[in-house]
Amino acid sequence: MAVVGIPILENLYPVTMDMWPLEAKEFNRIWQFYENLKQGRFTTTKCKDCGKVAYPPRVICPECYSENLEYIDLPKRGKVIVFSEEVRGVPLGFEAPLIHAVIDLGVEPVRRLLSRIINCPAGYLKEGDEVQLVVFQIPSHPIEKGKQGTIMAERVFFAFEPVKKP
Amino acid sequence: MARRAVILAGGQCKWGVREAHLVDLFQEAAKACFEDIPTLKPKDVDGLIVATSYSGRCSFQVNTAPVIAERLGLKPTSICTRCDTLCAGGSTGIILAKGLVEAGVADIVMVAGGEKLYTPQKWEVFYSELASVDHDWDGAQGMGLPPPFFALTAKEHMKYYGTKKEDLAMVSVTNYNYAVDNPVAQMQKALTLEEAMNAPEVVPPLTLYDCCPITDGAAACIITTDEIAKKFTDRPLVYIRGTAQVCLNSVTANFPGEHLADWKHLRIAAEKAYKSAKVAPSDIKVAQTHDCFSISEIIEVEELGFCKKGEGGAFCSSGQIKIGGKVPINTDGGLLACGHPFGATGIRQAIEIMKQLQGRARHQVKDADIGLTHNLSGANAEHTIIIYGREPVK
Repeated sequence: MAVVGIPILENLYPVTMDMWPLEAKEFNRIWQFYENLKQGRFTTTKCKDCGKVAYPPRVICPECYSENLEYIDLPKRGKVIVFSEEVRGVPLGFEAPLIHAVIDLGVEPVRRLLSRIINCPAGYLKEGDEVQLVVFQIPSHPIEKGKQGTIMAERVFFAFEPVKKP
Repeated sequence: MARRAVILAGGQCKWGVREAHLVDLFQEAAKACFEDIPTLKPKDVDGLIVATSYSGRCSFQVNTAPVIAERLGLKPTSICTRCDTLCAGGSTGIILAKGLVEAGVADIVMVAGGEKLYTPQKWEVFYSELASVDHDWDGAQGMGLPPPFFALTAKEHMKYYGTKKEDLAMVSVTNYNYAVDNPVAQMQKALTLEEAMNAPEVVPPLTLYDCCPITDGAAACIITTDEIAKKFTDRPLVYIRGTAQVCLNSVTANFPGEHLADWKHLRIAAEKAYKSAKVAPSDIKVAQTHDCFSISEIIEVEELGFCKKGEGGAFCSSGQIKIGGKVPINTDGGLLACGHPFGATGIRQAIEIMKQLQGRARHQVKDADIGLTHNLSGANAEHTIIIYGREPVK
């Protein structure tokens, strides 16, 4: 479908308009985080030299600059510390209600993780509620691979949802 | 003798929803700036720092400095560059210009900031806000537009310190009423407490007047040394006494405070800025704090040391931010009423403090000799402070 006013953009993927991360290993050295997500694991990097756990994951340790890192699992359940609900005027790309919460996953460095809460109607969530990780599909994007042609990179992303179903 | 930076002049265009291109707005602002100092001509300016963040997204223009230099008829020989620190861009430009003129790298620098945010279809600027926060982490969680983040901040301030919705509303009422007679402000509306309390919901507890609007606009100022300034003006000199810019995190999960209403990074910035300016919070006679949301100003007066931690709500709602109060704040209307074209805001704030210290502000604070500007930027990722004074640091 042509883009109104800019017909040359027909069938082209503009990365500068993509609300999601470029997760593929061709474009991201922390692709393992997203691969782990696909397996239902919520992970980050730990430095094997100094022990520092950083979130989000890195390619160098922010403490000692070592590249000797490993992926470790983070808790997938936590408690809501505070939350906000946006019912009207939700930005493009998200559905109402747009709920955000600061979640305590119980360990550093995710004692105050800010996440979207999905599968939750407006007015349902309360402070102290237990929430759990949800992984969901997001749109694939094309990558030009020279002689191999164009491949589609499949992607997932994450949010949290109430443990107690509405 | 040491070279000491001063702000010599400044001006801005009309801010609001403008039927104009980004480069038009910069031209209007530069004209207003030179009208403020008729003895100074464009040929006298040897440096240009352009502060804009959204030029790349909303005007399809990066490397913006040469474009602006050419349209303004400037021919910089010492520096011609752009800086992007979003909401703090203008203040960043002023800090850089101070360093350059004091080091002798430049003599007379124009710092010009501006944004053209309204696009032919409005969804685009809102969508582009996903780039204003840490895109892959907070943006992908729908934290691009800031009201949810500041709603969380307000809820935590209410929880820990008992701040009330009325306190938030009084910040909006005060700042809107400062701008009623400001012809270049986006909003020139006399706001009552009742209106503010009954305004449409944005993200509870934030309602319409708790949030600054989306704004097209530009502003420009001139930074030079005191000795050079004396050749162009008889007005009192306004020295840039001290500065600080602190960044401790980007992703919100790494927010440095104990909670979202505890702005440790602002406290660190304030301590450094006061120390470098050799002043104390009690010396500040007038301030421009970053009231992107009403709750922001409440927390800022605490962390800047104008009142005790937790008492910002009462400080603001009891009239301490009005003329005659302890520290009159945002005396031109602030972000809430003037609007907030990101890169231009720090320059607007600097112009208001300059006028206050020269005794020519619209809402003049009596005997103002020390003034402060403050910005927060990103998802509360950075704090920037500049302290101005009638006397240099000795």
